[in-house]
Amino acid sequence: MKMKVAWAALAVLAVTATGCGSDSGSGEGSGKTTITFWDNNGGARTPIYQELIKRFEAANPSIHVEYVGVPIASVQQKYDTAIAGGDTPDVGGVTTSYLANLTGQQALEPADEWLAKSSVNGKLATSMLDSVRKTVPDGKLYLVPGTSNMDVVWYLKDKLQQAPDTWDEFFTHADELTKKPDEYGYTIRGGAGSIFQILAEMYSYSGVTEFFDASGRSTVNDPKNVEFLTKMAGLYKKDTPEADVTNDFPKMVAAFGTGKIAMMHHNLGSYNDHVKAHGKDKIGAFALPTGPGGKRTIVANPVDGFAVFKSSEHKDAAWKFVEFLVSHDSNSYWNQQTGQIPANTEAQGDSWVQGLEHLKTAVDTLNDPNTQVVSPPYYLPQFSSITKADTEPLFQKVLLGQMKPQEFLDTLAQKLTDAQAEWKKATGG
Amino acid sequence: MSADVMIRPGTRVVPDGARRRKRRDPGRVLRLYVPLGMYLVFTLVPFYWMLVFALRPAGSTDPVPWPITFEHFETVWNDIGYAVFFKNSVIVGVWSLLVTTVIAVMGGYALSRYRFRGRGLFMVVLLCTQFIPGAMMLIPLFSIFKSLGLINSLAGLVVADTVFNLPLSIILMSGFISAVPFTVEEAAMVDGCTRFRGFLAIVLPQLRPGLIAVGSFAFIHTWNNFLFALMFVSKQDSFTIPVGLSYTIGEYSADFEALAAGGVVAALPVVCVFAVVQRYLVHGISAGAVKG
Repeated sequence: MKMKVAWAALAVLAVTATGCGSDSGSGEGSGKTTITFWDNNGGARTPIYQELIKRFEAANPSIHVEYVGVPIASVQQKYDTAIAGGDTPDVGGVTTSYLANLTGQQALEPADEWLAKSSVNGKLATSMLDSVRKTVPDGKLYLVPGTSNMDVVWYLKDKLQQAPDTWDEFFTHADELTKKPDEYGYTIRGGAGSIFQILAEMYSYSGVTEFFDASGRSTVNDPKNVEFLTKMAGLYKKDTPEADVTNDFPKMVAAFGTGKIAMMHHNLGSYNDHVKAHGKDKIGAFALPTGPGGKRTIVANPVDGFAVFKSSEHKDAAWKFVEFLVSHDSNSYWNQQTGQIPANTEAQGDSWVQGLEHLKTAVDTLNDPNTQVVSPPYYLPQFSSITKADTEPLFQKVLLGQMKPQEFLDTLAQKLTDAQAEWKKATGG
Repeated sequence: MSADVMIRPGTRVVPDGARRRKRRDPGRVLRLYVPLGMYLVFTLVPFYWMLVFALRPAGSTDPVPWPITFEHFETVWNDIGYAVFFKNSVIVGVWSLLVTTVIAVMGGYALSRYRFRGRGLFMVVLLCTQFIPGAMMLIPLFSIFKSLGLINSLAGLVVADTVFNLPLSIILMSGFISAVPFTVEEAAMVDGCTRFRGFLAIVLPQLRPGLIAVGSFAFIHTWNNFLFALMFVSKQDSFTIPVGLSYTIGEYSADFEALAAGGVVAALPVVCVFAVVQRYLVHGISAGAVKG
């Protein structure tokens, strides 16, 4: 009897395993073209894409889109493996952070010609298109922008009534809002992702507008940047929790969610988490304070968008899907759900953008003629490793007082300068 | 003590009274139970925290999950897709367990019972494979699996996980088989059994701790494998639990409640398996580890 049960169980397993076997391409039998789309931040965004795919398939009955959500932490590895194994998707979500890596492997198809003939031509934010083109040596458009982000300081309205306009005001507030033993004016991101945030803060304070000077030397160790880092490191443990030294963004957002921290620097993307923790009315956001002369300097966040892969067998259908995703309605829907800045300029004018305080702040800041945008060198193949593995531990040493801010910034500047020189040599610049 | 409990040779039988006195000894409490209790608290706090996040309402900061809500479990099960991921994980885990165990028994038997040239070297090579991280094998395996049509299928995951489970499983199993005297098998063969029949009738029943140790090792390793589950599969309905868990941390936001609820769902089968087999596992691994 036992043996019979065991064999029956085995048979059921065998049937289920083969039932989940290799994909033969759904829809192929019905004469449909099937394209695969990899979402580079699968999870919370999955239902948004599922809705958009439903709309796309209704408008294009001959195309079936197969959605695959890739967890953000592993997306680069997934793309690298797929490229090496020759099994890339037709369309993929890609950001400028790793665009250079993908184009370096000749994996993507430029979209310039498609865009020139498209109905969305002239309707995508020029700043985002420029940012994408600057990322690759040949200046082609390998990624069609769908959204961008901006660094803001989130704050609790019941603790801070008036958002600071200058960095001096910010430091004063951080100090005043700290009420030991467990209430803090600010939280520093000391763990993963710390370098991008501190770069954004330093350039906003110093007002330096280029990452490299004319001779190709990094401006990261500019004296004003050193001055800022010294002040910011001075806040650690005085006006921030001690645990900040290992803060990555989930920990930082979770700490802010406890209501014990008055201000937190992140970007627009964490809006829904703050609303969930505190409610919509208690949350405010301001752009990073102004630097010298009242000028606001912001470091451009990576642009997130869509790329058609070179190995796609259905490039026209793939482009059609990309075009649909960045069209007014789709782009507006997507960004409204995620709380980010639409790339489609028609969507930027939609009423929901004006209705969300943090988004209005971001769009107004970006469109303000007084705002200066600094573009980080995302095109450097080593940019990610320099600003993560190489220097994040050193930043922790700065917070812990084991390394001087000047020494840290000199090290970071030297690495960036070397990488820039290497890149220029490789691209004949 | 029931009559069918076997007392191992060399085991010291302690009278009940002495055992009770030993338990009450305050020095023993300080030396043994206090450190163990502290270690237990230290180990269980993260689990408690996971339960708190999974069961309390979103936005709550209470250290006690009250009122209890199951909304986060509904989110992970229905919205994130755990219903499908869980089923896939069970299929891959159980198949990997079965295939690993069967091959490990065959391989272990060969290593234990036959003397052949290169046997020692083969054992060393098996051991060395444990030092190669899965990530290093990713691209070659991907190419091989692609040419075999194993990409995007649960069968591919079973093969990949089984291959990585096998070396240690074979080494462990050969230890277990060596512990069963060959003379017993010989006696069965003298009585007319074939070698295979002798193995089934005499050796296999004595391998129960080993089968459980190897099987549970294979199941738990496969259940937790994130890398292969993500890299060899590019179909939403073929992902497994570890991939689903990673969905809860996005680029700019993290759903801690869903992460905790997903963690509970992911940990539950492993905890249950462990609870059932732990007495065999401890005995099994130690027995397999020292005999070869």
